[in-house]
Parts: sequence; structure tokens; C-alpha cells
Amino acid sequence: MPSGLLEHLRVLDLTDERGLLCGRLFADLGADVVQVEPLGGSTARQAPPVAEQTGVSLYWETYAAGKRGVSVDLDDDASVERIRALARVSDVVITSWPRALVERLGLDPLAVHEDNPRAIYTVISGFGWDGPKAEYADTDLVVWAAGGPLAPHRDGDRPPLRISVPQAYLHASADAAAGALIAVLARAQHDCGQVVDVSAQAAIGVATLARVLATAVGDDHPEWQTTPGRPTGGRTDQSGSGAATPNSLKKWYCRDGMVELHLSMGPAAGAFTNNLFRWIAEEGGVDEPIASWDWRVVPDQLVSGELSHDQLDEARAAVRAFLLGKTKAEVLEGAIERRLLCMAIFDMSDIAGSPHLAYRDFWGAVPMPGADAPVAVPGRIAQVRGPAGPMVAGAAPAIGEHDDVVFKEWLAR
Amino acid sequence: MTNETTNRGTTPHALAGLKVLDLSWVVAGPLIGRALADFGAEVVRVESSVRVETARLMQPFHGGVQDKEGSALFGNCNAGKRGLTLDLKSAEGQQVVRDLVGWADVVVESFSPGQLKKWDLDYDALRVIKPDLVMLSTSIAGQDGPWATLAGFGNVGSSLSGFQHLVGYDDRLPMGTFGPYTDYVGPRLALVTLLAALENRRRTGEGAYIDVAQVEAGIFFLSPQVAHYGYDGTIAERHGNRDPHLVPHGVFPARAVDGKERFVAIAVRDRAEWIALARAMGREDLAERDDLASADGRRAAEGELEQLIATWTAERPAVEVETLLQAAGVPAHAAVTSDDYQHEPQLAHRGHLVELPHARHGRTFVEAPRYRLSATPGAPRRAAPALGQDNDSVLRELLDYDAARIAALREGGILR
Repeated sequence: MPSGLLEHLRVLDLTDERGLLCGRLFADLGADVVQVEPLGGSTARQAPPVAEQTGVSLYWETYAAGKRGVSVDLDDDASVERIRALARVSDVVITSWPRALVERLGLDPLAVHEDNPRAIYTVISGFGWDGPKAEYADTDLVVWAAGGPLAPHRDGDRPPLRISVPQAYLHASADAAAGALIAVLARAQHDCGQVVDVSAQAAIGVATLARVLATAVGDDHPEWQTTPGRPTGGRTDQSGSGAATPNSLKKWYCRDGMVELHLSMGPAAGAFTNNLFRWIAEEGGVDEPIASWDWRVVPDQLVSGELSHDQLDEARAAVRAFLLGKTKAEVLEGAIERRLLCMAIFDMSDIAGSPHLAYRDFWGAVPMPGADAPVAVPGRIAQVRGPAGPMVAGAAPAIGEHDDVVFKEWLAR
Repeated sequence: MTNETTNRGTTPHALAGLKVLDLSWVVAGPLIGRALADFGAEVVRVESSVRVETARLMQPFHGGVQDKEGSALFGNCNAGKRGLTLDLKSAEGQQVVRDLVGWADVVVESFSPGQLKKWDLDYDALRVIKPDLVMLSTSIAGQDGPWATLAGFGNVGSSLSGFQHLVGYDDRLPMGTFGPYTDYVGPRLALVTLLAALENRRRTGEGAYIDVAQVEAGIFFLSPQVAHYGYDGTIAERHGNRDPHLVPHGVFPARAVDGKERFVAIAVRDRAEWIALARAMGREDLAERDDLASADGRRAAEGELEQLIATWTAERPAVEVETLLQAAGVPAHAAVTSDDYQHEPQLAHRGHLVELPHARHGRTFVEAPRYRLSATPGAPRRAAPALGQDNDSVLRELLDYDAARIAALREGGILR
């Protein structure tokens, strides 16, 4: 049995919570990933969310899963030297430790490449390896602000909002894995190691749907006009994605929770809204002429005055009343059967109970300290036919759990 | 950006020789090919000029004018590719795709699951043409299972993956993410898997079929939260900009610039940073208060502290607050806007915004690759293609079609 797409790679993982996910991806893909922790344990062991009863960090337990663990006494040069020895036989080194620390330890890119020029040295940091803000104090929120996704995300008059759980470094860590793999492929062609430098700030610009490019290309009113025919603009969100539509117009209460629904209009996606109104009409929830509107041409009709905004409000009221009588499960089922852009807003319990994810064998069972039984974690970043695909490779290591075996295996002569 | 572009003639391309057929559309699929093109792959992007792809209809636009050749979103997702317009519903168009598969190493597609099979262009059909093909499908919920036929864009993905529920103030409606969030996550994990499959093919000669679901990718970025539920039943909730450990932790109003509201993010990780923040605000009294020394103590006064900080930041430019606090070792940054983005010093240092010549607009801007490689740097080679821009060169140079065959396709309405 093959053990994975990257079973031939040795990865030395010198990350904290910033870069922890990168090595997890390598481990899922079959690489031998060795996570190095200081004697007191990685700071990622305190990263939220932390279970109240046991103090166990679910961040650590999920994103260090499938790695082997070795410990290092950062104040003992003999101990650090053993890590340097691992770096000499690594294909990929990943770090998100502070630059000053890896330089003090002789584990920086220059030092590693001196002994191991074919190493792929991958750096994950808030702002980048060098530059005017490379030394900035960083947290997820601060990087989210610096990279662009925060500012445009407003809920009315209040300050911009982040996602309530950390995300910036996850994007950077996934990018780091991609950058490192591009370097792995380059090494096969050009026989060179190199440095892969990933900045979380730069990584998340793409999470703005190109909003960060608006001023550069001369779009000075990216406060998108969303309702056609209003005097303040004239642009329509005809994408179907609803990306340019205000939040309050996309959230609806249903019987047991909330629903996300964008009344898409225009040629590309208006047909989805036609499907919705067909359903509402079948159950007697909307009268003519609204029941027979063709939402593909509604924008034009609003601009020409053939339809009024009062009528649009009537249509919305019909949707509101209809959804109040439906459960999340009924909405989801209706969306699938009738091709609607309409979706239940799931929380973690809904996700854990999803029959679809179970069908796709999405979950991996990972043992965790303080848990009686293995815990379900997202186990497959993708499904692969042919070679063995990515799959969570086991539990996160205890501090120094694999000291003996890793040094023996990697440094065997 | 200058270093990378001027060096391109002499530096080797990481993915030189890799050939990619990109049948995907909107954001999640096209970003994959964009990354491969940056590092030297030849990517042919297939589109329809009749059913115009959604990203071309989406903001922001050059000069603020809605136009299918003016979307900076489309430009950012497709820079460096060659553009071919094709009627995929026609038998002749489908034959062109089969010929391109014969040319390609990689196929990326994002049709509704099942659509390619109807055209006999699914993996099982295409691997007959190219046994070691690496093919990647990206969709909302994956190629099989009860949700596979779910129609949807990334905002559907962010609802089903839990993100919608996790953004917002606790006293308001869930706000959801900015845009279709799983479109930003899916392609990153897709690319990692695709590159690993290419490395495996290099070593073993074996192709692969990769099925990426945006919902699953999104949930992967919430692994700790969903595991928390499995561990002890905790359901993660939204809590505005607050953090379970760090106090204060928020986004505060700064002085407006040219009538535009401005904001600054501030986070305090420990007692030393709290004291530094209080002193920067000129509030020695707060710095000395014993009850505020611990995170728990500050939590008890969180609303009050947020008010005090907001009052202080509101009188100052966001960048001034950032600079002042960073000098004191406190994590802080202005909430960068599109106006700032071009000139933000750290992004400028990295050359993150790349200017490219553009046939219609004179010049355009795209983001640089998100990973800087020292020996084989990547960069977009040219702006995204106009509709049908490279029809001739793709058919002639890559597929060796002769002029008569190309003319017949054009006259038959196949190259639309």
C-alpha cells in the first residue's frame, strides 16, 4: 500500500501557531513531518479554542495531527545541534518562529543552506521575512487589518468585523505548503534548494474578491450599487453570488434557525430565483404577477420602470413568510431538488451531523488527551482517485514523544 | 516586483513545461491555474463569449465602468493565461477539448458535478486520451454524496461550512464573511493537492483525479472549532472582534481621512503590552490599576476599556496609532483600504501589486504570487486574456490545426 503522494519527503517543522497548519498538510499527503517543540511545549498548545475542562487546545490537536514530535532545549547548544542535524537531512524546513530566534539557533535559511543546499526553506510570518514591517508585533486580527479583508467588512455603522476565529495564518500556511511544493517540483528540474517566503498580510489580499485592487484600477465607488434603478448608482449585482449585496437582504429566519438567500437577478443567475418563486407559488405563498416574474430580466424592468421597488418589496415579503414555515433541513433539501441559491446557516453541530460529509468519508478519528474516544476532525482536504490521497495521519504528538525514534531514523548512518 | 520581472529572462521557471487546460470559471477554479501560470506553466483558459463567465461581471472594474473586459477580479484570477472561446455544447467544441487534453498534463474544471460526463469529457473519458492525466474538479460540495447536485457559489459554501454563523456581533444577525469565503480557501488546498499529485506523477508516472469540495475546504479551516464540538460539545459562536484570550482586542475608529471613515485594529497579548498601551494613551492610572493586570480583570472591564481606547484613537490618524503602538511593542495596524493598498509600505516592499500592460486599459494591476521563491521566482507574465484573444495561436501552435480547420471552426460558430 502506498502511504501517500509525498511519502518520500522529510519535513522539519519549526512552527508555532502561526505556521502549524502547513506541516499538517504535508503529513496528510504522506510526508514524514517532525514537529519541533521547546521543552515547555509549543505556544500552539495554548492557542484557542481551548477545552474548558482539560485545558487541551483543539487548535494544536487538529493542526499538529499526524506529525511526529521532538523536543529541544533552546538554551542547550548540544540539544539545538541535534535539530540542526535534522535540518541537514530534511527536504523541507518550515518555520514560523521569530527570525531572531532561528538566527540565534543557527537554523535560519543561510545556515541551513550552507550544509543542505537542496533544502526547501519555508518561512511563514505576519508580514514577511524582511521589509519595513517585518518586525511588527502581530496577531491574527492585526494581520487581517493589514492585508485588506477587514476594512470593507462593515455591519452598518459599527467598526469592520473579522471572522470570530483566527484565519489569517491558515491562509498563509496553506500558501506556504503550495509554495514549498512548487519549490519541490523546481528542485527536480533545476536541482536547487531555495527560500519560500510567505507573508500572511500578502496572503489574504485574495480574500477580498479583488477589492484591494479597486483604487489601483480606478474604481472609485466600490461601495457597490446593488439595487438596479436606484438613483445613487446603476450598477447591479448580477453575479448570482450575492457578493455585492448587503447582509440584511441575504439573511432570513426559518423555523429553527437562519437561512442565507440572495435573490439573484439578471441573465447569469436570475433563473435560480425563478426556481424559488415556482416553489413558493406551488405552496400558494405568492400571487400573480410576482409569481411569474422572470428574474433574468428584472434588472432591466426596474431600470425601465416597468417594475417598481414597492413590488420588489412585496416579492421579498413573500419569501420572508414562506421561509418562516420551513426548517433548515427542508430549505437545504429544497435547494438541492429545485436548484436554488438558498442555504441553511450551519453551526458546528449541524456540520458534525451532516449526512453528506459522512457519505464522503470526510472525517478522521483522532485520539486526543482527555477524550474517551477519538474525536472527529476534518480528515480529507480533497478526495483522490488513483494514488492514495490526503488523509489525516494520526494524533498530534506529546512533547518529545518521538525523540528517540526520530533522531535514530533520520540520523542513522 | 522589479527584481522578479527583470530577472525573469535568466531565472529558471519552477513549472517550465507544465501544460494546463483550465475549464473552470469564477474564482475558486481559475485561481489554481493562475498560480501555475505564475511559475511558468502554459495555461489555456477556455471560456464562452455567449455565456459570459461570472467573474467578468463582477467588481471592481477599470475606471468604475461595468464591462466584461474590465473586471479586476477576473484579471486577478486569470493573469498569464491564454484565452480560448469555445462552444462546449457542440461536438466540434468537445473535440477541441479532447485535443487539448492530449496536449495537457493537467485539467482543472468547475462545472456542476455530472456535467462533463454528459459531454463524455469526464475523467474516465479523458484518461483514455491521456493515461497519466492529473485532473482536478472543484465544486461546492464535491462530486458525490447527497449534496453533490447543490447549485451554488462560495456564499453557499460559507453557510454550509460554518463561517456564516461565525461572523458578526453577538447582538446582531450573523453577518457572514466578506464575499464567498470558501472561494478563497478551496483553491489553496486544491493547489497543494494538485502539486503533490504532480510530484507523485513525476516519480511514478501515475496520474490522478482530485475532487475538491469548497464546503470541505472551508470546514478544514474550522478544524479546531468542529473538533471542539466533538471533544466536549462546545458550539463555537460569533463574538464581534473579541478574542477568548486576548483583552483588549478590537477594531477602533480613527480620524476620518477626506471624509472617509478609518479604523485601526489593536490586540493586547499580555500584561506588558497592556501597560504599554495604557501608557501610549497617556493613562498611567490604567497602567497601574491592579485589577487590569490580568486578562480576566481586563475582561471584566472590557466594554469600558474599549470605550476609552476608541475615544483615544478617534482623534488620531490610523497609521499614527499603528506606528505609536508598534513602537511600544503592541500589535496594531490600520485597517488597510483599497486606497491604501497600492502604497502600503510592506506590501510595496514585497512588490505585491504588479502592474501589467493591458491592451484595452493601457495598464492593469494584479496581485503578485503569494509565495516568494528565491531561486525560481514567479510572476504574472501578462494580463488576463480578452475573450477569444488567443483562439488562433492556441489552435495553431498548441494543436497544429491548419488554417482551413480553424476557419471552419470559426465559421461554424464553434469559437464563440
